[in-house]
Amino acid sequence: MTIFARPRTASPMEAARWSPRRQLATNLRSVFGRAYPRLIGLAREPSWTFFEVLLPFLTTSAFVFVYRALDAPAEYIGFVVLGGAMTAFWINVVWMMGAQLWWEKDAGNLELYFTTPIDLMSVLLGMALGGLVASCLRAGVVLLVGTVVYGVSFGVDQWVLLLAVFVLTLTALYGFGMVLASLFLLWGREAFHLAQLLQEPVYFLSGLNFPVARLGMLGALAISTLPLAVGLDAMRQLAFPGGVATYGTPSPEIEAALLVAMTCFFLLAARFMLRTIERMARHEGRLTTRGD
Amino acid sequence: MSLPSVPAIETRGLRRVYKTKPKPIVALDGIDLEVAPGEFFGLLGPNGAGKTTLIKILTTLLLPTTGTARVFGFDVARETRQIRRLMNIVAGGEQSGYGLLQVREQLWMFSQFYGLGTREGWQRVDELIEAVGLDEQRNQKVSSLSTGQRQKMNFARGLLNDPWVFFLDEPTLGLDVSAARSVRELVRTWKDALPGRTILLTTHYMAEAEELCERIAIVDHGRILAIGTPDELKHRVQSESIFRLEVDRLERGAGALAGLPGVVSASTATDGTTPAPDGVQTLNLILDNDTALGGVVTALGSMGAQIVALRKSEPSLEDVFVELVGRGFDEDGAGSNGHHEAVAR
Amino acid sequence: MEPTVAAFDRHALRATRSRRDGWRDTWRGYRTAARLGWRVEANWADPILFLTYSVAKPLAGALILVVMLEVVSGGGADEYRAFIVVGSALWSFVIAGLSGLAMSVLDDRERYRMLKYLYISPTSLAVLLLGRGTARFAMGGIGAAVTLAVGVLFLGVPFDPAVMDVPLLLASMALGLSGVIALGVVFAAVVLQTRQDSWSYPEAVAGALFLLVGAVFPLAVLPMPVQALGLVTPLTWWVAAVREALFPDAVSSIAGPGSLYTRLTGVTEPDRWVLLICLLATTVLVTLGAMLTFRVSERRAKDRGLIDQTTGT
Repeated sequence: MTIFARPRTASPMEAARWSPRRQLATNLRSVFGRAYPRLIGLAREPSWTFFEVLLPFLTTSAFVFVYRALDAPAEYIGFVVLGGAMTAFWINVVWMMGAQLWWEKDAGNLELYFTTPIDLMSVLLGMALGGLVASCLRAGVVLLVGTVVYGVSFGVDQWVLLLAVFVLTLTALYGFGMVLASLFLLWGREAFHLAQLLQEPVYFLSGLNFPVARLGMLGALAISTLPLAVGLDAMRQLAFPGGVATYGTPSPEIEAALLVAMTCFFLLAARFMLRTIERMARHEGRLTTRGD
Repeated sequence: MSLPSVPAIETRGLRRVYKTKPKPIVALDGIDLEVAPGEFFGLLGPNGAGKTTLIKILTTLLLPTTGTARVFGFDVARETRQIRRLMNIVAGGEQSGYGLLQVREQLWMFSQFYGLGTREGWQRVDELIEAVGLDEQRNQKVSSLSTGQRQKMNFARGLLNDPWVFFLDEPTLGLDVSAARSVRELVRTWKDALPGRTILLTTHYMAEAEELCERIAIVDHGRILAIGTPDELKHRVQSESIFRLEVDRLERGAGALAGLPGVVSASTATDGTTPAPDGVQTLNLILDNDTALGGVVTALGSMGAQIVALRKSEPSLEDVFVELVGRGFDEDGAGSNGHHEAVAR
Repeated sequence: MEPTVAAFDRHALRATRSRRDGWRDTWRGYRTAARLGWRVEANWADPILFLTYSVAKPLAGALILVVMLEVVSGGGADEYRAFIVVGSALWSFVIAGLSGLAMSVLDDRERYRMLKYLYISPTSLAVLLLGRGTARFAMGGIGAAVTLAVGVLFLGVPFDPAVMDVPLLLASMALGLSGVIALGVVFAAVVLQTRQDSWSYPEAVAGALFLLVGAVFPLAVLPMPVQALGLVTPLTWWVAAVREALFPDAVSSIAGPGSLYTRLTGVTEPDRWVLLICLLATTVLVTLGAMLTFRVSERRAKDRGLIDQTTGT
């Protein structure tokens, strides 16, 4: 067993001394390391494409037919398709990130993560990254097939801003997901129910299939707090300029700035929360052990 | 390679209280411990003695309530990152992991958590798989591994960063004889391959502690009762005479021998309340000296018990435990009723 | 010891146990599983949070649709509002039915690791899963009731108890819920084969079924082949029958101009008996299919060692 005779460091002190660069590199590696099981899982069990791509497309189609049954203007079909595409990311944030830390604890993995020299944020990012592949595929299919099948016509003038808003929406969403993950872990068994609770109500408040401005004060509140609401509204304004989506809410530029602020806030909050979680875990000795 | 001058593990007045209802549980009650670099140190104690709590504190999973703990001089409360870079842990009955992954993939994921390069990670994983004897299972799904194979995989995970301190928490728990033996061999081989590697092993298997550890601390109810080499510990009861008796029809239990002149302790190998199917019970007797045996034999005769076999035995770590705690190792230490029936002093 | 052993032997291990004993055992197994399911579902939170969870989801689902209606029709279309509210209220049963059994499989297999023990017990696995799923089903019922109440009280759904067809409502609910449970069994069979991450699948399936069954829009707007699929689903007839029972003047989700049903039968609105007979027929069909699917899935799971697998990623 020659491998056992090869020391990786000359002394324990050397083993413990890492440069900030090495720590950062390890955290980045961990992101990909944690994403890996997710990607392998997707490749190993392809049934997810049916459940996570085809079926959500059908759900979106159901809303398209609601508007068709109401003889709604074509623009509204576009709202549904765009909303349907963006829900993929929200689902990923809630289920594959928010609730996941709690599942990791339950499976006994969280304790092992705590013993490794990485930040828990890397683990969460890894989970999100692994889930993002499925989400992107789902969003892409809903957007492309929906556009073709239901004849949606976009009128984008500001592609760069649209792309920026999309990216910012994702960063804010995933920052929010990290905060959720910490909260879910704190609240224990409610995690699953909370994840469910965050689906339809957030869809509603975010104006999934209609301009969020129609919700009045509630819509304004959603825009100022929910990344999905503000991101979706900005993207609708940019994708369907001059339509009903542009009335009653801030301009896309202002909403992009809002998303930047949300990203910063949620990432900082997540960092604080995860540290708090770890401190609590070590203090109370219950967060890393399996629940009831 | 010169060994570091600081202790590998050092605890001072370590105390840990769990705030549970209806009353708090004191898991550790003032542990003072020093383990030298390169030492194979064992914590021996029954379930609930506080062994796992101590390991959790040392592996930065749990904070002490009071007192300090250091690993190679790094404080467990403040310098967690440094400690995590130089240690690793394997626990018995560990079921963590992702069932859908293959063994190689599962280990590679963890290699990334320790900062190994992509290719370096795969290479190290392959080497470790070979070293722990999981060649045939390398591409098998984690969920399909047997308990023994799973524990070997856990060892490979624990060795990914070639830890300077390796914490083993009941590593052979639930393994069959052969799997437990191969795990012990693996641990010893790794330890002996390079000086300076420190192992802290917790176990409630006496033979395992005796076979592997250079020094042992016997713990119970969160306190260290004795520390020393296995020989030193056994020497504690060496001055007394130890006999094992197989006795038939011992209806009044070991308690009946309490109070006889010269009897230090008398306990049954089982819990004392359920005789073996053939009615023969094994009695462990610690006497002041050999002459006290006569009184015991007479007493047994007068009780109608029949001595089937009598053997003077060398002291074992269990005897040391009984001597220190006043009860057998498998007996409930929480003051259950069985305690008094099984042990009499 | 002797009397206990004898009693145990007499009641439980007798070789000549009657069929009645078997039913009694099945009922006992179901009851125990249902009680366990309720405790698992309900002990995690305080009652207010529990109620919020039970109600917020279906209510928000209904509100999405109502706002969609409002933004297009601008406050008119009361009939269509009733149509949507009934459809989305019943949908909370569908989601609960589909996810209840499926989540029991995933929970008991991956989290509590009890599925293997349930499986080897003398009670049928399907019965035990049914019991475990009952709590969710009950929560679905709460969600449905609250959605209907909010629809009537706050969303202007024109409900008149005097015209309500109670016998039709009771019969269609009994048959419809059986159909939902059968679909739940099918879905439990599916997740017995899939990985832990499939916890979100039940909702995805429920969402897709939304398209087929005329829950929130009449089938007539769908292409003909999709309408045909909808007509062989018990949920389509259930939703239509309940809607007919509660709001006899509501728009028919099955028939009407452009619908396959009207093209095939020449009828513009199916009467209550047609609704009930079709509901019965499709429910029987789905139940038989569910039993077969579950048996096949169970055998495959046993063959491939999936009963006690853990598959997290």
